[in-house]
Amino acid sequence: MDMKRHYYEDIQIFQKPVHVFWFVILLIGLVILPLVTRNYTMSLVNFIAINVIVTLGLNLLVGYTGQISLGHAGFVAIGAYATVLLMQHLGLNFFPALVLAGFVAAGFGFLLGLPALRLEGPYLAIATLGFGMAVTQIIGRSTFFGGRMGLKVPKINIAGITLSSDKELYIVIISITVLMAFAMRNLTRSRVGRALIAIRESDIAAETLGVNLAWYKTLSFAVSAFYAGVAGGLLAIIFGYINPSIFDFVMSILFLAMVVVGGAGAILGSILGGIVVTFLDLKLNAVTSMPLIGDLLREISTRWMSVSGLPNFRSVLFGILLILFVVFEPHGLYGIWLRIKKYWKTWPF
Amino acid sequence: MFSQLIINGISSGSLYALVALAMVIIYKASEVPNFAQGEMATLSVFVAWHFVNAQFLPFYQAVAAALLFAFAVGVLFEFTVLRRAEKPSILELIVMTLGLQMFIYGIIGWKWGAEQKTFSLPIAEDSVVQLGPVVIGWLNIITIVTSLLCVLLLYLFFTHTKLGTAMRAVQMNSTAARINGIRVHRIMSLTWGLSAVIGTIAGILFAPVSPLDPQLMWDPLLKGFAAGVLGGMTSPFGAVLGGYILGIIENLFGAYISLEFKSVVAFALIVLVLWFKPSGLFSRHYERKV
Amino acid sequence: MNDFFTVTGLTRTFGGVVAIDALDFAQKKGSIFSIIGPNGAGKTTLFNCISGIYRPDSGEICFQGRRIDGLKPDAIARHGIARTFQNLELFFRMTTMENLMLGRHIHMRTNIWHGLTMFHKNSTAAREEAEHREKVEHIIDLLDLQSARDVPVGALPYGRQKLVELGRALALEPSLLLLDEPSAGMTSDERQDLFFWIKDIQQELGVSILMIEHNMQMVMDISDRVLAIDFGKKLVEGTPEEVAAHPEVIKAYLGED
Ligand SMILES: Nc1ncnc2c1ncn2[C@@H]1O[C@H](COP(=O)(O)OP(=O)(O)O)[C@@H](O)[C@H]1O
Ligand SMILES: [Mg+2]
Repeated sequence: MDMKRHYYEDIQIFQKPVHVFWFVILLIGLVILPLVTRNYTMSLVNFIAINVIVTLGLNLLVGYTGQISLGHAGFVAIGAYATVLLMQHLGLNFFPALVLAGFVAAGFGFLLGLPALRLEGPYLAIATLGFGMAVTQIIGRSTFFGGRMGLKVPKINIAGITLSSDKELYIVIISITVLMAFAMRNLTRSRVGRALIAIRESDIAAETLGVNLAWYKTLSFAVSAFYAGVAGGLLAIIFGYINPSIFDFVMSILFLAMVVVGGAGAILGSILGGIVVTFLDLKLNAVTSMPLIGDLLREISTRWMSVSGLPNFRSVLFGILLILFVVFEPHGLYGIWLRIKKYWKTWPF
Repeated sequence: MFSQLIINGISSGSLYALVALAMVIIYKASEVPNFAQGEMATLSVFVAWHFVNAQFLPFYQAVAAALLFAFAVGVLFEFTVLRRAEKPSILELIVMTLGLQMFIYGIIGWKWGAEQKTFSLPIAEDSVVQLGPVVIGWLNIITIVTSLLCVLLLYLFFTHTKLGTAMRAVQMNSTAARINGIRVHRIMSLTWGLSAVIGTIAGILFAPVSPLDPQLMWDPLLKGFAAGVLGGMTSPFGAVLGGYILGIIENLFGAYISLEFKSVVAFALIVLVLWFKPSGLFSRHYERKV
Repeated sequence: MNDFFTVTGLTRTFGGVVAIDALDFAQKKGSIFSIIGPNGAGKTTLFNCISGIYRPDSGEICFQGRRIDGLKPDAIARHGIARTFQNLELFFRMTTMENLMLGRHIHMRTNIWHGLTMFHKNSTAAREEAEHREKVEHIIDLLDLQSARDVPVGALPYGRQKLVELGRALALEPSLLLLDEPSAGMTSDERQDLFFWIKDIQQELGVSILMIEHNMQMVMDISDRVLAIDFGKKLVEGTPEEVAAHPEVIKAYLGED
């Protein structure tokens, strides 16, 4: 063994050269993607990337810190509205508005985190649920926020160029996503992330080692909300129009599904979950036009259920997915990925 | 005016009390807030509606069938899902009930579509009783009496029957119960079934005053939750009382302060109570032993 | 008297149960002080009061001249008191290294911003991280835990898990170390090693040790002073010989041999 090992090796982002290789491949892929795809596909990719950002943040809270939030759509809403209003009323440029909106959401996260300190499991679930509902209720009832009708999102321009096509937006969104994914990876392997994981594993032990529970739990809420807020700002841009009904309870549950399906407590899990669940969700909107499955579902619908209610199949499937993953694969897709990797390593022996 | 508001409060409070009670008996046994409580009830109400609407069964038989159905759903969920999970954390338990919630919600929408239906009790819609200055609708009377009856029956069940005692034993300490020869899993299943039945009774009482759609129980569920939290989630007595308190406060708030934000009262109340007493009004604070 | 560590009139009840009843004792700096007593005597409750997990009903706990009773556990940790738990409270899904790194928590400065921006080897957080990992490595060497270094502690045998907990507490560089039944559940070989390590920790690292222990052999051999309690009250306090000579203690421990 080499005597002067450098301990940073233990935690560096890329543990092996082959990881760097794959990352470069991924980057190249992300760069050429807009060159080879249609605008529609780009809008899909943008939406996925934004959901990945939310999932990264929610996973910090749920997967790493072991808290729960059933109201993350509320933070996304706050980020979206804050971005738009800051641009409209204060005349801020897009980037400052986005960052500031992230901090506004983080502020609310911090506030929600305060009572959350004293609350555990079920109480926290209910408090966050109530928070999510309260946000959309208040937005919906206030003319300043455009009420139920919502707000139109101004066009954004960066360095004098107005971004309008999905491909142009893609550049902005994917850069932010990659940056935020790395930042989260950094955080989770640092002193702060370690303290959060420790809280999840045993809050009492963490406390007796000097971890200030109050501070770290609220911090986790705040960072998580920051991610959701930034994602909200980006969401506003790609939607071009926001109203409170977008940010409903189902949205919060979908985010939770992304964490659970992807893998709680893993960055790669957040990314996988964000991609797979969003993709599924979008595909399910047009489930009847899918070959085979579409026909089958129509058949079932006419025979036992109802054709007009078929869009609800989406909820049915997500419900089943949530249950199946928790029961059979609590580590989510990330867990499956780890097993595949292990299998390949020993292959073909 | 005031006494009228109180009566209305007690009436809606009765529903919250039932939902909270359903929630609490599961919470005590499985340590999970059942987010699917509302959907389980809604589905059962739809089943009753289906039977009545298809003229398949008369009203009371349809309701009985729906209660039976609810019981089966509760038992089945415990048996097919909860029991399969390996040492689930609280988080995982919550996610499972959320999964069930989405699943049932989807099934209801898929089967019966989104258009609203009506489900009413076989009584004249607006028949009322005049009691001095207070006017009480028959529906309110039925609601209040039924829920009081349920609470009473449950009390007798838990204190005077073997099964009820076993359920309480499991709620208190499942390991000790197992050692004493109680079939904990079976009791757990039955508890889920019982809870679903109570929730469905609330649903049937609530359906006449609300359009029957997949979201029927969302509001009562949240309020029931709030009531349960007020009462401490581990105390059936507290849950029922919490339900009545919430119903009354909510009605007074709606009348005197703001009708717009009436629905937010529940959460404001939760936040206030939990702020001062993090374990709810009627439950003892628990310190984890290390 | 001495002002290193003193407990005066400490009382803590649970409902009707008086777990600790007006307990007094004082420990000298650099000494090993053992607490013995039957199960349910209130020993762990005493530790929980000292480390701030439980708030005492009344009484005082002073450490190095300062009142620490009523403080939060994390504040008490920053005063330099670390502990182990009777029924392991490890971070089971973290590796041994990561567990021990939590012991370094109070000595590190990395904040949220440093953490988020730990992009390369020379960032503030990374340098601090490397520095403290090196310190932890020494503890891993000391306790012979190299083979467990990168293993999630949930996968380790019980005896090693107890060592990881000891290492974690040591990593905090405490002035006072609380050990709650450190040798319980260990094989006799493991116990032998532990015996020497505890001596080393006291003599070479200069850490004062307050220890709850049922193994009388170990208590007699390494303690400077011993306190026997029952029903939360002091039975007798003194040198190991004095305590061993007390009739109640003989009845409880030695008489059964
Ligand atoms: N969190 C708690 N809640 C209720 N009673 C407790 C708690 N912790 C300890 N006790 C009670 O205090 C008494 C002393 O327990 P403990 O300090 O664990 O004893 P020891 O460590 O000496 O075996 C016991 O009767 C125990 O039941
Ligand atoms: Mg003990």
